[in-house]
Amino acid sequence: MVVSKSDLIKFFDTVQSEFDIFVPYQTEREKDDLVFKQYDSEKEFVLDKYRTIDPVRTLFYLPSESVLPPSAKTNKRIIAGVKNCDLLGLAVLDDALLNDNFVEPNYKIWRDSSYIISCDCTDALQTCHCVLLDNNPYPNNDTEGDALFDLNVSPVEDKFIIEVGSKKGEELLEKIKEVCTLTEVTNNDKEIREANHAEVLKKVRDINSDFTQDRHYDVITENKEASVWKEFCNECVQCGACTNICPTCYCLILNDESTKEEFRKVRSWDSCQLVGYAEVAGGGTPREHRWETFRNRYQCKYNFMKFNFDKLGCTGCGRCISACPAEIDLREVIQSLQEV
Amino acid sequence: MPDKNPYEVLKADVLDVIEESPTIKSFYLKPESPFEFATGQFIELSLPGIGEAPFTPSSSHYETEKMWVTIMNAGFVTNEIHKVQKGDVMGIRGPYGKGYPLDKFNGKDVLLLGGGVGLAPLRCLLQTMIHDAKDYKSITVCFGARTPADMIYQDQIDDWKSVGGVRHLCTVDKCSEGDKWHGKTGVVTVLLDDVIIDPKDAIAIVCGPPIMMKFGTFSLIDKGFKPENIYLSMEKKMYCGFGQCRHCVIGKYYACKDGPVFTYEQIKDEEKIWD
Repeated sequence: MVVSKSDLIKFFDTVQSEFDIFVPYQTEREKDDLVFKQYDSEKEFVLDKYRTIDPVRTLFYLPSESVLPPSAKTNKRIIAGVKNCDLLGLAVLDDALLNDNFVEPNYKIWRDSSYIISCDCTDALQTCHCVLLDNNPYPNNDTEGDALFDLNVSPVEDKFIIEVGSKKGEELLEKIKEVCTLTEVTNNDKEIREANHAEVLKKVRDINSDFTQDRHYDVITENKEASVWKEFCNECVQCGACTNICPTCYCLILNDESTKEEFRKVRSWDSCQLVGYAEVAGGGTPREHRWETFRNRYQCKYNFMKFNFDKLGCTGCGRCISACPAEIDLREVIQSLQEV
Repeated sequence: MPDKNPYEVLKADVLDVIEESPTIKSFYLKPESPFEFATGQFIELSLPGIGEAPFTPSSSHYETEKMWVTIMNAGFVTNEIHKVQKGDVMGIRGPYGKGYPLDKFNGKDVLLLGGGVGLAPLRCLLQTMIHDAKDYKSITVCFGARTPADMIYQDQIDDWKSVGGVRHLCTVDKCSEGDKWHGKTGVVTVLLDDVIIDPKDAIAIVCGPPIMMKFGTFSLIDKGFKPENIYLSMEKKMYCGFGQCRHCVIGKYYACKDGPVFTYEQIKDEEKIWD
């Protein structure tokens, strides 16, 4: 189905009393930067372009929230303009936080109450590198039943092609139909979409043309002691920005805020890059050197998460590159390891 | 999918506190409802408003109404826990992790090699095994501590020895003049020379400080124990208990979820397992 942009705005205006709506907006400070904000009918949102600064994870796994009792709100939410790198990030988090043995209470509430409308990328940032991970800058909507979105929209001129990815998506489409006039997808629409896909794919490939496309992450294990780690980590200040900004990081610390009457626990983000992270009472730590701490993030993203979830923990969003005050580029780290 | 909040805490009354050594105390707890666990599993024990830390109960898993937890004063939380008195309230989460696979020990010679506060989880195992003593060919207990004053559970040795099939050996690193000590002197591995079981098919369980576990394991290998028959209680920073916080990872494994009990065979190729 196809919906016009003006109709989609009409839809958001109509349902904003029923849903909390989050969409990307340009920031005031840097026009190129996009951030998820609560829907404001007065301001123009940006569904397409590229990823936001913060991963969508921050709407599902808050920097700090009470887990005993759970503090997540059950209001229904629409989160629109999510990019493929973030959908892939949520897939990792789903495996980690909603599995047969463990259900993270807040994450489940946030996830259950949210309807995700993803959007194809139409542009790319210099740090974008999904193609190096064999991912595309638009969701895979060919696989039946495996879609990571509820609805996906592909921009075609001043309209969007809507794809349904789940039961929740069907539900949402029904609501859209109540407000908007939908038309059938024409062959011309499809051709434009294909051309857009090819164009953005080429753009991300061109950005990453200096890097080997064929990547093997066993180079991390094979070169555990390589000088590459020590060289790159020389610049690292162990601030933890790379992990806080990552779409798949979920390390946490628990603070006990219990009283005599009631047990209460607050969960906050932690980072394996911070000093003292794995240190135990008595001072023992499995990662004594700074370069081992630095290396741990790579092992975790490319080896451990692959082992645990059969998915890479890196989706190619490139946020850790943008956020790093030392300008460490993980693409270069992997490239250097491949060339050892 | 489980619907219980994994962070749920069970209130526990402190019935008694015993000083085991200058740095180690045992706490006798009564959870508000019976607490079932398998020997070798651990709990997160919390002090309201202070924090929580992982411990393995030191009493048998057949005791579910009340439990003993033996704790060394080693860091921030344990220092606060050491101030706890009879009548105070604590919180218990868990149990977490995989315990000792007792069915695999069935009919075999079992050796418990422990040092320092590592005796605590081994006491849990020993009490459980003594309950079913006839299921094992023999149980050899090799306990070490720094000094005679640091050797915990000394008052229980006679009870253990009185059980058929149980042999108890102990040593201290250092013994000063005037110390009352009847065991050996030297690090815990010196006891292995006195062990009279055939290592080929025997099971060894090692728990203690990292350096002791390292050399204990190497000595057992030298004696002929098989890596797949050496069980290690890996104590890392098990913060959440269910494989979410990632503080305790040993390479690709989580100490909390995949362990804390691992065979040496399982983790011998992972990095820095002894740190």
